[in-house]
Amino acid sequence: MTAGRRAWAASAAAGWSLLTVRAPAAQTTGTFDIGMSTVRYDGFLASGAASVTPGVRWERPNGTLTARGTYLRFESGHRSLQGSVAGSFFMPAAHRWRGEFSAGAGASRYVDFASFWHAVGEARLHFMESERGAWVSGTAGRASYGSAPRTVLAAGAGAWLRLPELTLRVSANLSHVGDTSYTDVESSARTAWGQVTLDATLGARVWSRGGGRGMYGETSAALSLGERIAIVLSGGRYPTDPISGSIAARYLTVAIRIQTVSPRHTMSRGSMAPRGSGADGTDAPTAARLEVQVDRSRPVRLVVHVADASRVEVAGDFTDWQPLALNRTGGDLWEVVLPITSGVHRIDIRIDGAAWMVPAGTTRAPDDYGGDVGIFVVP
Amino acid sequence: MPRSLAAAGALAALLAATAVAQDPRLGRLDATARPLVAGVIDSARAAGLPTEPLVQRALEGATKGAPGTLIASAVQRLAADLGRARAVLGAGATPPELEAGAAALRAGAGPAVLAQLRRSRRQTITVPLAVLADLVASGVPVDSAAAAVLALAASARDADLIDLRRAVERDIALGAAPTAATAAAMAGVFGADALHVNAGARDARPGRP
Repeated sequence: MTAGRRAWAASAAAGWSLLTVRAPAAQTTGTFDIGMSTVRYDGFLASGAASVTPGVRWERPNGTLTARGTYLRFESGHRSLQGSVAGSFFMPAAHRWRGEFSAGAGASRYVDFASFWHAVGEARLHFMESERGAWVSGTAGRASYGSAPRTVLAAGAGAWLRLPELTLRVSANLSHVGDTSYTDVESSARTAWGQVTLDATLGARVWSRGGGRGMYGETSAALSLGERIAIVLSGGRYPTDPISGSIAARYLTVAIRIQTVSPRHTMSRGSMAPRGSGADGTDAPTAARLEVQVDRSRPVRLVVHVADASRVEVAGDFTDWQPLALNRTGGDLWEVVLPITSGVHRIDIRIDGAAWMVPAGTTRAPDDYGGDVGIFVVP
Repeated sequence: MPRSLAAAGALAALLAATAVAQDPRLGRLDATARPLVAGVIDSARAAGLPTEPLVQRALEGATKGAPGTLIASAVQRLAADLGRARAVLGAGATPPELEAGAAALRAGAGPAVLAQLRRSRRQTITVPLAVLADLVASGVPVDSAAAAVLALAASARDADLIDLRRAVERDIALGAAPTAATAAAMAGVFGADALHVNAGARDARPGRP
């Protein structure tokens, strides 16, 4: 078996294990991307490529560990393998300051002649407020391009701002890898709209000695198709990264991302109300999801998403627990507008006169009467 | 004996009538629950506790067809929780705060956590308490939930806390462990996760060949 086949077998096995064997630790989540790309590396002809990218992320309250691999097969038949592992540890917060130590290592190989590896450590000092923050960082390590390892030294600074619908980040980094030096200035934005998450990065290598110069930018959109599956469309241009050994390229990729679901502990909240579980412990005929729309200047709008219903009622501490029929506003949408006060509220839903049930979108809690009740908060 | 039975019946009827006179909504309770619930409500009112949550708890039981004794004990338990919450939060606590505090205590939060929340936040602590109880109900260990809410309580808006709760809900639904989901959501609130400023854990750009 060739090295490429062994690598492919290892990637496939890792990916399959992520899909079939749930993550052994409760804090572990895995992703498995299968994609098709068209890519043009600087100095090479454009090429199509198929990719398989397994990844795993292990989280603790004070740190994370991620591992990721990518297997690429180009239309020429050549293969590329990349793998990396990175971990970070957060120090306890001291007022608005927080320290972070991280380390990362990775390697890549293309055909049989180009291999790279790197190992770096980084320290960051974060200043964090709820809606904005900044950091400074220092990095040191080693990187090799198939020759004697070279020293990596880098310094960076950045700031971020969180707006209601958008998160912005700017950063600047000065890096030295052996006798290569370069300065990148970069900005990025992230926003989520419904099931779609958008990321965009725009940057410039404003100064360089041996690392190239120019503008670059990438964007990606991830469309969630449920709890486990998303479609990712991404593209753009990225610069040469002398640390990891990646060459500047333009690309466009479409991929399917499958995410593992690790075992749940105590689950009382879900994206869908469980079927066959009414608030009074009897069978409920169907599932419903409650959406609480709050606008401080107006009464609260309760919107219930439920399929195939001819009558939907709510009862709660805001109706004196008297059933209140909702108005149908669309195919599966039912709603009512009520003057609900700020605070914690209890609610149940009844569909077509069947048993009272707890709608998804609320927290399911014991109701003291042998069943459950939905809890929601109005700020 | 018949005379004592008649007297007891008359007393029960009188109490029931009094309860309905106090709050007509209690007329929806059955004859067993009505005087018992009315007694608990009277005691709560005398102690300066909010009575509306008690009425609502009783009405919930009536709507769900619960036996009268079960309704009475549920109302009694809630009154006790409200009393414990008031003892911790002080006489100045608002009824929504007491109700949320009672839920947090019932969820397992210690009185010290409630007291610390009271000290650390100038605004009302209704939403922090509710989010605390909510996180615990979602499976987040009490200590982790309390640490998360306390870390945000001083400066975060109510909307931020609601966002935190939603983020935890989303991540749990996606399969994250409750503790990890809370940690990730905290980082999100602080901006670290969403912005990939977390140096060691930042993901490679998806789809980059």
